[in-house]
Amino acid sequence: MELFDYSLFVSAIRMVSPILLAALGGALCARVGIFNVGLEGLILAGAFSAIVGNHFTENIFLALLTAVAVSVLVSLLFGYATIHLKSNPIVAGIAINFLMLGLTTFALRAIFDVKGAYYNKDMSGLPKVDIPFVEDIPVVGQLISGHSPLVYTAFLAAILLYVFFYRTVTGFRVLAVGKNEAAARSLGLKVTTIQYGAIIMSGVLCGLAGAQLSLGQVTMFTEGMTAGRGFIALVAMMLGQSHPIGIAGSSLLFGLMDALSIRLQGFSMPTQFTAMLPYVITIIAMFFLKDRGSDSLAGQHTSR
Amino acid sequence: MMLPQRLHKLFTPLIQPLLAVLIGLLAGAIAISFVGEPVFETYKAMWEGAFGNFYFLTSTLARATPILLVGLGVALAFRAGVFNLGSEGQMVLGAVSAALAALCIPGPPVVKLLAAIVAGMLAGGLWALLAGWMESRFKVQLLISTLLLNYVAVLFASYLVAGPFQDKTGSAALAQTPMIDQGAWLPKLFPGMSVHMGFVIAIVCAVVLIVILKYTAPGYEVKMLGLNPFFAQYGGVNKVKLLLLSMFFSGALAGLAGSVEVLGSQYRYVDGALTAPGFAWTGMMAALLANSNPLGTVVTAILLAALETGAMGMERNTEVPLEVASVIQAVLILFISAKLTLKLVKFRRKEREVHGTV
Amino acid sequence: MAHRLEMRNMTKRYGEFTANDNICISLDQGEVLAIVGENGAGKTTLMRMLYGLEQPSSGEIILNGKKVSFSGPQEAISRGIGMVHQHFMLFYDFTVAENIVIGHEPKKYGFFRRKAADEAVQKLAEQFKIGVNTAKKAGDCSIGEQQRIEILKVLYQGADIIILDEPTAVLTPFEVDGLLKTIRFLADQGKSIILITHKLREVMKVADRVTVLRNGKVTGSVHTSETNADKLAQLMVGRQLQKLNERDSISGDILLEAKGITIGQKGEKPELDRVSLTVRHGEILGVAGVSGNGQSQLIQAITGLRAVQEGSVRLKGQDLTEENVLARRKAGISHIPEDRYLWGAAKDATVEETALMGSQRNPKYSEKSFIRKASFRTRVKDWISRFEIKTSSLQEKAGNLSGGNLQKLIVARELDFHAPLLIAAEPTRGVDIGAMEYIHEALLEKRNSGDGILLISSELSEILALSDKIAVMYEGRIAGILDRSEATEETLSVLMAGGKQHDATAKTS
Repeated sequence: MELFDYSLFVSAIRMVSPILLAALGGALCARVGIFNVGLEGLILAGAFSAIVGNHFTENIFLALLTAVAVSVLVSLLFGYATIHLKSNPIVAGIAINFLMLGLTTFALRAIFDVKGAYYNKDMSGLPKVDIPFVEDIPVVGQLISGHSPLVYTAFLAAILLYVFFYRTVTGFRVLAVGKNEAAARSLGLKVTTIQYGAIIMSGVLCGLAGAQLSLGQVTMFTEGMTAGRGFIALVAMMLGQSHPIGIAGSSLLFGLMDALSIRLQGFSMPTQFTAMLPYVITIIAMFFLKDRGSDSLAGQHTSR
Repeated sequence: MMLPQRLHKLFTPLIQPLLAVLIGLLAGAIAISFVGEPVFETYKAMWEGAFGNFYFLTSTLARATPILLVGLGVALAFRAGVFNLGSEGQMVLGAVSAALAALCIPGPPVVKLLAAIVAGMLAGGLWALLAGWMESRFKVQLLISTLLLNYVAVLFASYLVAGPFQDKTGSAALAQTPMIDQGAWLPKLFPGMSVHMGFVIAIVCAVVLIVILKYTAPGYEVKMLGLNPFFAQYGGVNKVKLLLLSMFFSGALAGLAGSVEVLGSQYRYVDGALTAPGFAWTGMMAALLANSNPLGTVVTAILLAALETGAMGMERNTEVPLEVASVIQAVLILFISAKLTLKLVKFRRKEREVHGTV
Repeated sequence: MAHRLEMRNMTKRYGEFTANDNICISLDQGEVLAIVGENGAGKTTLMRMLYGLEQPSSGEIILNGKKVSFSGPQEAISRGIGMVHQHFMLFYDFTVAENIVIGHEPKKYGFFRRKAADEAVQKLAEQFKIGVNTAKKAGDCSIGEQQRIEILKVLYQGADIIILDEPTAVLTPFEVDGLLKTIRFLADQGKSIILITHKLREVMKVADRVTVLRNGKVTGSVHTSETNADKLAQLMVGRQLQKLNERDSISGDILLEAKGITIGQKGEKPELDRVSLTVRHGEILGVAGVSGNGQSQLIQAITGLRAVQEGSVRLKGQDLTEENVLARRKAGISHIPEDRYLWGAAKDATVEETALMGSQRNPKYSEKSFIRKASFRTRVKDWISRFEIKTSSLQEKAGNLSGGNLQKLIVARELDFHAPLLIAAEPTRGVDIGAMEYIHEALLEKRNSGDGILLISSELSEILALSDKIAVMYEGRIAGILDRSEATEETLSVLMAGGKQHDATAKTS
């Protein structure tokens, strides 16, 4: 086995999609002025409910729908706390993470009566999409074809979000709300509606991210199976400056790191340093990008 | 006339926390009835597990120790106006440094012990200082850098104990350091009970912090810096210096949390042993619940620890999974951070009108 | 014909306080109505009700003969009422065109047609002769340009009635002229304008009619052709304005000496350019200028809040250039800040804590770092009674104090340092007349006791009433320094607009 080969990149692309989906959700929130630390919890909710949906409906589409619906519900709770109850979004996000870690583990025992992980060999996961013709092209075919539909959805979502932000009227207004909430309000823009919209969409995206985790590669749920991916997504969002294309780039990078870490384990080399890289790179990047995105952070002092 | 007013003043700030506790317990009750267990009995089992007898009580206090220390650190940073999300990294680096110092530094056990504590505090403090320095010198958002530095610290500690400092004596190659000399352990407060000297240290830290924040000039300056940094600077407070100092001590307290956990209860650094129970995040919650008041943090840290130990007891005696505790904790936090201002403001305005016409 | 707009018997109460008492105004097509009054007279409240930001306690608004009520700005906008706020509501990262069309963007299938937006804005700008560069980012525009964006935005939204809230406060005299021309032109095109201001000369120049408010009541409603600035001033203040009194010069030795102070990034136009000035004992040096011409930087350079690139600051001969804020305070500088909420207090701190700032390490009130609260409290209580500061207790939050009371608290705190030099920046901004007179008296008293005061104010009347000498700042430089005897509003205005001292004195002599 070599350190770098096609399969490394193939697995990187697979690793990317949950990170990318969640990071795009985070970016939507950041763009309306809400720093969503609760991505981890939202993904976990999606991952668990995808399995629940799969178990009870035995229909992969309904399973996805369940994942999205539950994540949206949780994101609404987050939205209610931050927008209506005016909680600090960071605090509310941390609470959401805790809540979902607790609830999914709890429900795992309540529903399936198992501890640690739930696996059922009768359950089918997400199908693989073989793109006709492309799959026959050497190298490129291996890289691009044969992933779960959610992998393609993730990249499509990035492009759609880009078009939304920079080409549509609603996207323009979303950006306006994040840039200057007071001014947006004075213009009569429906700030609260826009914020809720962004939070709900982030719920949808995180629900899909979770479904990819629990139904994409292996069809199972384990306690806390997000393993910090929500935070990685948050970091990818920061590194990508909440710009959809930037996020796609940083997510690819982090996916590669992820895949590389797993590969290194096979070589019995310390994986900690490759796992550390996304964070170190982002810290270094922060030195150059320091002014941007600061207005999306809560807890800042205002002069008046 | 005066007494009701005073009572009112005393109890108004308590309404919301009590309401949050109530909602939290309600959420827990729903979860409990979902698995078909009797709510009241389950809560009773939980109470027993946390405070039921002396042994359980001391277990709760032992668990509260690192939570409290982390909470105090977060509270201090909060007071200075910064959100230190890096407690986990600071705690882990403190713990691994303490373990390594106790193992490597020669000398009598007492020296080892003291050196370990100092090393742990220094490591945590310096790690936090790095984030503070990046903020004040390069305007790198502290909120984000502390979060990122967590992962670097945890992974680095994991590397240390999985690689160069791994305990090779055991049969299975676990990621942990060798055991520390027994002489360098923090003594237990009661024989056979898990609460150790670290709890006393934590209480002392809380008292010192209360005194500093409430009665001294530096404490006043920290508070003003947190409330309005421009005002503090205008009044002659050296913002950068004070920010760095606050961050250092905030990290040092987290480092101390890791150190006493290693020296008082685990006696070695085990990879993941401090991160898995979520001491740092619970500590952060304790500080948030107490609105960064050190005295309040003592109470909330013990409360949150009790929820966790109580849930363990509950799991032993009922069919309810212990995660019910995290559900209650999370709901508690969600509602305590909410600003139920609308109602309160209206209430106050009414009150003022009433007083005006008298 | 009915008026385009009428506001009848408008009353607004906040608890005990009546901000607007039975106010009536009317406005016709093509008319410029000025609403004048001092700070706190109720101008802003009246306009907030018209714009739907506040609901009146009683009274009615009649628009084009129909009774209306607005629950929010959106409704007011849709009925043709637009407002240009004193603090601009702009998105600095967006282009000028984007800022103007936002909320009513030209679109096709939900897609934003930026080109069409650009063209529409350009057409609008030509129609009303308002020059803007549509592709520029709003953040790169000058204050004057930003104001033009705001006016165009209101026009784009289809406003027939345009409210301008203190539009000239931030402009240079040259820009003011341009704005007044625009206002006149808009009126000639059939728009109705409401101009909120307290600058009477501008009112006389541009308005058709004036309504004067004092303490929430209308004290006069006149045509400008039938009145003059003096009469308006009387209606505004309610008494004869006191003339500048002659007074003895008592100035002694040099107290503060600032030499060649320069602040700025390398390669950019300096924010503060070789500023030199001196303040003597027993002297008030007034610094006049349109705000934003380097006054803030000057204050920060002298107090040590900002490092200087060049130049020196000396107090009683002692070089303070390298010292920090604390050392300078110790050396004898006290400071009433220009913005009491930004610099002068913390809203969530208690009155006592706000009062303590600067004394927390004073040996009188602290012992080995421990603050002696008891002895400090008596001192604060003394201020409260002497300055008649209204607060429910020492534990009240500073943010709950009214602006005037908080300002008095800050003034009391800074005066009680008994520092030889007091920097008083906008000491009476936004306070009521009673508090203003109180503060002015306190400043004069300090001057008469032999201390020096550096008074920075954008209110010319305040500068003229208090100063022994007047320095005028323009674009980060001192444009000229005049004696009290040679300074008039006219000479100062010329300097404030960037004219030379020679022109200023030549024009008036």
